[in-house]
Amino acid sequence: MEAAATLAHARRRMIATTGIVLAVVIFFAIVANQALVASMLIAVFGTARDPVFPTPLLDLTPQHIAIVIVSSALTIAVGLPLGIWVTRESGRDFRDVVSAGVDFGQVFPPIAVLAVMFSAWGLGPAPAILALFLYGLFPVVSGTVAGLEAVPPEVIDAARGMGMGNWRILFVVELPLAMGVMLAGIRTSVIVNVGTATVAAATGAGGLGLPIFTGISTENIGYVVEGAVTVSVLALLFDGAIAVLAMWLAPESSLD
Amino acid sequence: MISLEHVTKRYGDRMAVDDLSIEIDDGDVAVLIGPSGCGKTTTLRMINRLIEPTSGRILIDGTDAATLKPEELRQHIGYAIQSVGLFPHLTVAENIATVPKLLGWKTARIVSRCEELLALVGLDPAQYSRKYPRQLSGGEAQRVGVARALAADPPILLMDEPFGAVDPLNRDRLQGEFLRIQRDLKKTVVFVTHDVDEAIRLADKIALMRDGHLEQYDSPEQLLDHPETKFVHDFVGADAALKRLGRVRVDSVMRTGQATVRADQPDAIEAACASESRFVYLVDADGVLVGWIDSRVLDRGTPAAEAATRVDWRQAAVRPDGSLKEALARMLALGYRSLPVVAAGGRLLGHVTLSDVEKTMEGGDAHLADHTDNEAGSIGGGGE
Amino acid sequence: MAIASAMPSESYPSAKVVDRAASAGAVVALAGCLLLPFVEFRPNRIVDGRLLHLLQCAGVWGWVLLAVLLLSLGAALLPGRYRGRGLLAGAVLSFGALLFALGSATTKLMPAGDTPARVSIAGGAWIALVGIAMIWFQGNRVARSHKASAAAALTGTALLVAAWWFGGLSQLSLAVEYRAQADTFWQLTYSHVLLVLGGTLIATVIGIPLGIVAARSGFARAVAIPVVGIIQTIPSLALYGLLVIPLAALGLPTLGTVPALIALTLYALLPIVRNTFLGVSGVDASSIDAGLGMGMSRRQLLWRVEFPLALPLVLEGLRAALVLTIGIAAVMAIAGAQDLGTLIFLGWGSIAVDLVLLGAIPMVVLSIIADQGMRALESVVVSPGIRIPREEELSA
Repeated sequence: MEAAATLAHARRRMIATTGIVLAVVIFFAIVANQALVASMLIAVFGTARDPVFPTPLLDLTPQHIAIVIVSSALTIAVGLPLGIWVTRESGRDFRDVVSAGVDFGQVFPPIAVLAVMFSAWGLGPAPAILALFLYGLFPVVSGTVAGLEAVPPEVIDAARGMGMGNWRILFVVELPLAMGVMLAGIRTSVIVNVGTATVAAATGAGGLGLPIFTGISTENIGYVVEGAVTVSVLALLFDGAIAVLAMWLAPESSLD
Repeated sequence: MISLEHVTKRYGDRMAVDDLSIEIDDGDVAVLIGPSGCGKTTTLRMINRLIEPTSGRILIDGTDAATLKPEELRQHIGYAIQSVGLFPHLTVAENIATVPKLLGWKTARIVSRCEELLALVGLDPAQYSRKYPRQLSGGEAQRVGVARALAADPPILLMDEPFGAVDPLNRDRLQGEFLRIQRDLKKTVVFVTHDVDEAIRLADKIALMRDGHLEQYDSPEQLLDHPETKFVHDFVGADAALKRLGRVRVDSVMRTGQATVRADQPDAIEAACASESRFVYLVDADGVLVGWIDSRVLDRGTPAAEAATRVDWRQAAVRPDGSLKEALARMLALGYRSLPVVAAGGRLLGHVTLSDVEKTMEGGDAHLADHTDNEAGSIGGGGE
Repeated sequence: MAIASAMPSESYPSAKVVDRAASAGAVVALAGCLLLPFVEFRPNRIVDGRLLHLLQCAGVWGWVLLAVLLLSLGAALLPGRYRGRGLLAGAVLSFGALLFALGSATTKLMPAGDTPARVSIAGGAWIALVGIAMIWFQGNRVARSHKASAAAALTGTALLVAAWWFGGLSQLSLAVEYRAQADTFWQLTYSHVLLVLGGTLIATVIGIPLGIVAARSGFARAVAIPVVGIIQTIPSLALYGLLVIPLAALGLPTLGTVPALIALTLYALLPIVRNTFLGVSGVDASSIDAGLGMGMSRRQLLWRVEFPLALPLVLEGLRAALVLTIGIAAVMAIAGAQDLGTLIFLGWGSIAVDLVLLGAIPMVVLSIIADQGMRALESVVVSPGIRIPREEELSA
């Protein structure tokens, strides 16, 4: 029974992985083929007003991805250790203050964080990345703390009883068990970052929000749709990629 | 009367209940018992149509249950289950009021009914009616569950392992209270359990099931003495005689007229010595058992203070509505050959001896004409 | 979710010599005050601003602020019994000193008369505020007294009012900007609230039945849950972009309130549908068995048992939906919705920092109100039998 379930999971995981890789390849193949993009847009909107945004998608998409990946990497690099630290003996004093800050931060609208960063550091991609990093921190830290605290104490006790040290317990027992919840936090963080990065185009950060904003202000629906469809697919790809990652890293919790 | 006529329930290829026919008389407790998966719970749930039979009929007082509206049918059948299923968002009183509310009773009537029922199951209404289920212990929750099942005074009660999730001590007490309530209310009860002792103690009739079909449907005595199949024999176990004790109440063999002395009497020791009995029970001003004195020890010149054995009646006594099986178990555990019998508050009523238990077990009629103790009953080897 | 409340505070090691979280807060605040610029002064809108440090601009209030922060650091060393109240006092006084320092700097820097000059809050003051918040929070936690917490909150509010009226805080550029925009500001706030409530209300009317249906039927679950999930994955701005074509095809306006309301509704659906689904499908099987066994109809079972038991999760979904749509509504300003986002985008367009903050700060306030309001509502409408018991109830 169990072996069959594991086998079925392994098969589903292979299918999902192949699927997401294929989807990414197709996505980039289309994005890279500006002629194809243009012909599709013209097919829908006609040529009365040029529906094709002057900056090619092949420039905008990597910009967008770079903003998301840099900010998410920063988020994970800071958020995971922070979440782990406040659940250790050495950081336990800070656990409540960090959790309260994180809970409070999640109530902030992302656009407000963007606004505050803009106020402090002005235009350009740097304040946008900083805002995305900060806002992304909240779900990552709260997911890490929640995941680690959900590990049953008797499991840790058993590990200690078998003679494992604190570090070994963390890496061999706690992190693998907390991985599902942690990845859920990272997933939320990355998805919000993709969306907020779109809005950040208004602060001069570039990316796929640019055609949408330009399209709205020039009343060119072609631009709007070009940006909107691309960034939507990008968000779904990120979402799917993290879901597949979860199938590899936390097989138990991603069975749904 | 409940009649199951050739009732069958099939899930795909599996026969959960296979051509089951039994009749349950009004006022009887019919216990469905068998190993897990034998179809006993399915049978119970077909009676109030939580499960619809694949074929066959279920008649309640001659009416085919299938012709009634399921909701109406269920509102007139009490239902208590192992997991209790108290609604966590409602207070104890609101839980009990569920069916009366569905039936559209007036508020005043519901309130008085709730109080009546809480008192019936032994919970103080003032203390319990506004509590929430999470504030109750397992035993208390079960009592509320039974009270809720009885709320609209249904003639029929379905109980699915209602005492299955409580500890043995509480289960024993709940069974005793169930018998007491049932003696007054005379409901027709269908009771599911997997505990043979519980079945033997509570049942008027036991239906032993296996793999969806009926092995034997008989009175507990018949089942114990004349098992029809090897399975029945194996299921009730080799200790049928011992199990039979579970059906005999302590007060049916209890002896009264024992020697009793007030513990606060200054001449308690002298009075005990004067008694003809070897053992003299000590009681307080309210008649509550506090201990006993072995007069034989006194004769040897032991100081009086050491002669008296002080006991807690909760530990060293049995209740008149307890079973002889329980009394025997306690005698063996404590090493006594006789046990005092006390009422709810600890008031001494009489005592029960090992020899009487043995007589009952041997099948002899335990109902002796007079249980007056004149043979100086022996309680244990205290002091030896 | 609220992990802050997950751990009982008994575990707090009050016996420790020093409260590390509070002292860290004090150190953060001190570092912000000493190392980073406190305010920015711009003589007019064209010239680049001048960044000034606390001791350069706030006069005696600068020293007062440093002093009370050091006192707070000292309060972190107090013995257990006095520590909580000491920290609260330190945090409140530091907060007050910070406001008066800002006010004093503003008064000193602003030329007299009608002037285009502006003084705005700089990074150091923001960092100091974060540090003070840490001390405050830790004080509440250690003091464990509702009275002390309420007194601190009240004093803090009083100090804010005092600094506004007597301390020169009202000359801060944000306040000046507010006065210039007051009418528009309130109008936009009002329409922002309407938009959020409208979107959430429609989503509730659709989402709760949808969640219930999803809990009942496997087909509805297999369709509804992934669909609302996908909607929420799509960036809000892109969702609007995708709505444009069907709206245009249907002859509906592609700009203004209608598309904004539709987008908000779609966004608010996920938390409502998902939580209703989880709540209803998570109802204990024994409750359902008991309800049916007692003769409830499916409808009675739903309204008397399942929905009341699902209510905490449903309300949590509504709370999430409200907080979410407050932010999304601002994004929808780009599509012509009139709300606080209008100020933010205007500010971005004209690089007017204060205008951006004037849009962002009330959004934060609205979010906090929605968040706390929904939590308060939950404590009123959810049966005490299924609420997570508070510590005091447990010990009672």
